[in-house]
Formats: sequence, C-alpha cells, structure tokens
Amino acid sequence: MARNRNVGIIGIGQTRHSSHREDVNQPEMIHEAVALALEDAGMTRDDIDCVVHGNMELFEMVHQPDMWHVIGDGAYGKPGYRLTTGGTTGATLVCAADTLVASGLYDVVLAVGFEKLQEGHTTGGITNMADPLWGRELQTGALTGMAAAAVIEEFGAERAKHAAMKMRVIMDRHAMLNPNAHRQFGFTEDMIPTMVENVPPLVGELRLVHMCSQSDGACAMIFASEDVAKKRCPNPAWMMDHVTVHREETFNLFGNVEEITTMRYAATKLYERNGITDPLRQIDVFEMYDPSSWWGLDWIREFFLLDGDRHLRMVENEEIGMDGLIPINPSGGVVATNPIGATAMIRVAEAALQVRGAAGAHQVKKEVNLALASGFGGTLWTVLVLLSKNPPVLKEERP
Amino acid sequence: MSNTHEDAFVVEGKLALPYQYFAGTVGSRFLTALRDECKILGQRCEKCGKVFIPPRATCERCFSDLSGAWVELGTSGMVANFTVIHYEEPHHPRKAPFVIALIKLDGADTPLAHVVAGVDPSSVAVGMLVKAVFAENRIGSIMDINHFEPA
Amino acid sequence: MNDVKQELIVLRQILSIPQKFSTGPVMGRFLKELRDNRRIMANRCPRCRRFHLPPREVCAICRAPSGEFVEVGPEGVIQSYDIVYYASPDPLTGEARQAPYTTVNVLLDGVQGKDTLWHLLNETDPTRIRRGLRVRAIFNEQRTGSIHDIKYFDIIEGGTKGAAQ
Repeated sequence: MARNRNVGIIGIGQTRHSSHREDVNQPEMIHEAVALALEDAGMTRDDIDCVVHGNMELFEMVHQPDMWHVIGDGAYGKPGYRLTTGGTTGATLVCAADTLVASGLYDVVLAVGFEKLQEGHTTGGITNMADPLWGRELQTGALTGMAAAAVIEEFGAERAKHAAMKMRVIMDRHAMLNPNAHRQFGFTEDMIPTMVENVPPLVGELRLVHMCSQSDGACAMIFASEDVAKKRCPNPAWMMDHVTVHREETFNLFGNVEEITTMRYAATKLYERNGITDPLRQIDVFEMYDPSSWWGLDWIREFFLLDGDRHLRMVENEEIGMDGLIPINPSGGVVATNPIGATAMIRVAEAALQVRGAAGAHQVKKEVNLALASGFGGTLWTVLVLLSKNPPVLKEERP
Repeated sequence: MSNTHEDAFVVEGKLALPYQYFAGTVGSRFLTALRDECKILGQRCEKCGKVFIPPRATCERCFSDLSGAWVELGTSGMVANFTVIHYEEPHHPRKAPFVIALIKLDGADTPLAHVVAGVDPSSVAVGMLVKAVFAENRIGSIMDINHFEPA
Repeated sequence: MNDVKQELIVLRQILSIPQKFSTGPVMGRFLKELRDNRRIMANRCPRCRRFHLPPREVCAICRAPSGEFVEVGPEGVIQSYDIVYYASPDPLTGEARQAPYTTVNVLLDGVQGKDTLWHLLNETDPTRIRRGLRVRAIFNEQRTGSIHDIKYFDIIEGGTKGAAQ
C-alpha cells in the first residue's frame, strides 16, 4: 500500500461514555464529540472537507442515521460517506478517513462513530447476524463461553480463571484513570478469588464482569494531510499503516486449511510491511479491542505472535500494566467502555492520545513512538492500525 | 446431482426486538409543551435568522447552541406539500386513503410532517390553510397533535 | 429557572417487522429431508471432499460448486458447547428465551472434514457435559421443514468416546 501523502490525526473528541444518556438524542450526543474534536484541532466546521460516519446497523433501528445526524455533526452541505462493518466500524472509519486523505482527494476528513446502545437491545440485535434458518434461535449475540473453555482446557481451570480475572482487574485499574470510561469499579487483586466464584455467569465461564460494557457514546477524529497537519497542529499522531481481515465461516470452520486467527494474520502482515521483528519491544503501547477478558487474554498471544503461556505470564506479572513492558489498554479498554460504533475508533483515538502525550492521567510514562490499535467485530474479524510519533517516509522518498 | 429450484421454499419469520428512544432535554421540552400546554414550540437561531421545528440542540449550519432559544409557534399554518397514501400497514396512523403533509406553521422556517384529516384527500392542495387539532389523551408524543384540518 | 429535575421523555416499543426467508434449493433440500425423511443431509465438495453441514452451494475453500448430498448422523460427538444462562430476546419471536439452555457443535458420524452441526443439547448441568460425549438427534413428531424438526440432541448414556477425560 503506497500513500500519496502522509496523514496526521490532529483532533480527537469523545463523550463521557455512559449508560445514562437520556438527556440527549443521537445527533446531540454526537455533537458533543464533534465539538471537542474541532476544539482540539483548533478548527471550525468550515475547515472540514468530508465527513465519514458510522455505527452498527440495526441497533437503534434508525436507518440512514447519518442524514439525521447532520444536525449535530457538521456534515451539512459537505461530501460524506456512511460505513457500517459491525463491531469494526470505528476502525474502518479510521481506515476510510486515512485513505481519503492519503489519496489526495480531501485535505481534512472528520470521522464520526457512535452508538446509543440504551436505545436498542445489543444481544438481541447481534443475534440477527446468524442465519435465520439454522442459527438465529441458538446464537446469543456476542456471548459465548467457548473462548474461556479453550483457555481452561489448555492451562487448567484454576490458572486460567485467575488470569482472566486478573486481566479484568488490570483493565479496571486503567479505566479508573480515564475520565471518559464508562465503568470504573475499583477492583483490587485480593478480590479476584471471590469474583472468580461469585460473579454471575452469562455463558459457561464467561461471567458478567468479563464481558464488555454496553455504552452510549461517540468519538470524533480529524485527519489531515501532512501540510495541513504540520501547519495546524504541534504534535499530530501519524498514520503508518492499517490492515483489515474480515472472514466468514469462522465459527464452524474446522476444515482442511490451517486455522489461523484473523488477529495473528493481521499482525503478521502489518509487522512484515513495517519492519517490526520484535513487536513486544518495538511497539510501545497497544489499545486492544477486548470484547471480553477471556478474548483479551487469549489475543495477547495472537497479536504478539507468541507461543505457550507467555501471554498468561504477561498478565500474571503485570507486564501489560501502565509501567510494564507493553502497556495494554491504558484507557481501560472495551470491557470498561463500549459504544460499539465508536469503540474501535476509540482504540485508535486512545492510541493517538498516547503518541501525542495527551492522555492525561492515563498517559503511559515511557516515550511512545509506535502505537498499535485493534478493532474487532463480526465473526472474529480484525482491523489493525499502526500509529507513529514521526511521519513515515513515503515510498518515493526512500533511497 | 443438481439442486432443483423445486426444493426452495419460503419460511415466514419476523424481526422483533425492544427499542427505546430518548427525546433528550430539548426534545422532551417540545413534547411536554404539546402534552401539558397544547403549545407548539420552535427554536430560533439568531445567527442564521431561522426558526426550526422539529427541535434540535444545535444549528446545523453555524453550530450555535439552540437549546434555550425557544419560540412559541402558531398552531396554524400552510400545506407546503402533501401526499396521499393508498395502502395499509400496521404502523400507519390512519386507514387508507389518508394524507401526510409538510406543514409550514406560522413563525417557522422549516416544515413539520403530519396527518391532514377532516377533508377529502382529493381536496387537499398546496397552500391550503390548516390548523392543529390536539388529541384528548396526550402522552408526550408528536401524535398529541391528533391531526391538522382546514382552518 | 426552577430546580425541579426536567422530565425526560422516552418512547418504548417493541418493533415487530414481518419477514420472509427464502431457503434456496440447497437449504430447502436439507430442511425437506428433515421434515419428510428424518434424515440429516450434508453435501460434499467435489474437489477437497469436505462435507458441508448444513449444506452449501459452494465450497468456501475451493470455491467449487457443491456436489452430492450424503446422509450423516443421526449420532455424533460433541466438539464444543455453550451453556447459556442469559435469557436474551429472540429476534424471531420478540420474546425472552428460557434459560439456561445449552447449544452444542456436534461432529456427526460419517462427516468427512470437521463441519459440525450447531443445535441444542438436552442437558444444562455442566458436570454432565464434556467434549467427546456421544449424542443422538431426537426428532419431533410434528415436523415443518425447520432445523428444529430436530428437537435437540440427547447424550447417549455410557457411550463416551476418547477425548477429554
């Protein structure tokens, strides 16, 4: 993939994600995030050339909401796109904005992702993904205990359950530092044994506390070409690369082809393209889309191309903490905050804040040169985005 | 062995899920004014010089905050355009044939969509003057205006 | 301005939209075999020989149009399962499901490859379920051409097969 020019993230805005936003309707909620992003970029609606908008189809049962949301997102009279790719929507919006600016078509693109999950039924809505003739009466939204069962089978129930709950506790510790996070509990390590036994189960060993939040919230990001970014912003976060891996038939495909997760596949491709040979050391921070603590735990192994129990030890030894080898989700992650159409964008936004040194109380102390962000959705899809502190060297400039 | 289309058949199903919509503080003010005072409110953007209905917290053009900029509109207005619906669906507000019109209320710069009744559909015309008829039982919904009829 | 909390209006409703689903010829054949003959039919890819269950028009790996139908089951082995405690609304009915219920992926006898049939298991006690158990499809007396013409799978007592001990 060759960019025509570099793209910088120069404005970021988020709502305080919540389950109590009865005080606003959809465009009003979106406006909060858009206004903050414009303020962050020092821009007005007039500076925006194009708006890309997205959320999950079906959840709020309002079709083409991008038309309605013109009232709040500043898209009136401007070119725009609507994208909807399930849970990965937020990250796909980032990829689209990046591509639109990198191509040279637009200089400044506003990306808006949102969800008002209190207005629909998340699990019921996701269940519609299943084939109506054979799976829809069986599927329970995004809830499954199979990820937990696999980890338990590999590492034994006691160690696995403890590690997953520890993952949850570390994520909550990070969420407590993030004023925009939805759920902040104040869990401590000594609570783990009780939580492992007593938190109500949803499906199998997937318990209520392991599962991502259902939040109302919006995220807005402003992407600008290198010229504009350098003029308007002292410290853009630069788009390095992005890769999207969407695949069907993952739930029951135990076929004759070597099975590889989209996470590992995406990471392998991204690292190859960007000269990353030692991801644990070369990447400074990772905002991972963790739909549950079990998946979050399992995918540390996939995203960092690890083997054996290295990923469990990384959690057990808190190498994923704020001061650790590879901080994961300094924002608290998706288990703490999940307005689905915005969630994958928030991963990129939070990674960008880390690169810019602008994450406030949840800023990691080490210098952040390379940040990774992942999106998740559908049937175990992945979108992976790489950000850097310095603008990448464009292909034609390389010797 | 080939698959024949004789094997295909159709299964009846449905999509049914619970939803809720928050009017928000601005929308709620509009709806409670309908319910409790039989008043129709709009919002005025000072910068653009326009009065909007239905309600919204922000002016889409200049991003001004409209959440406090309430004005009372008349309950009469003019049919800006209309259509006659000839088919039936469970969610329709009336039995067919019935009229949905865009009504430009006195004082507003944008039209409100609503039912025009109490007149033969073939007699409805652009420019016709209409007035709001409020419902007996009002619950804080746009249908607290029961319909518009010739003034 | 008064300090009474403003009333916030919420509109609540169940949106119910009628829908029709077309089976197509392949799924149609599969469902008719359940209804008329109490048979579970897979179809096979002519190139990689893998069975598809439920049957498919085209092999996902080879992209070749699928070939012959083959009867499989009615018994098989549990590959994975989920005991669901959360009673979510079923979008096909709008009603909350009865919980707990157990969904199961069964590798039916005779299947080449690893395509499993996803269905219900007639057991929700986690101490009584594990991978490797043998199960049998139980059909409804009244059948309509639906995947639920199979009522559920029963565990075959005393018929365990290798795997997880």
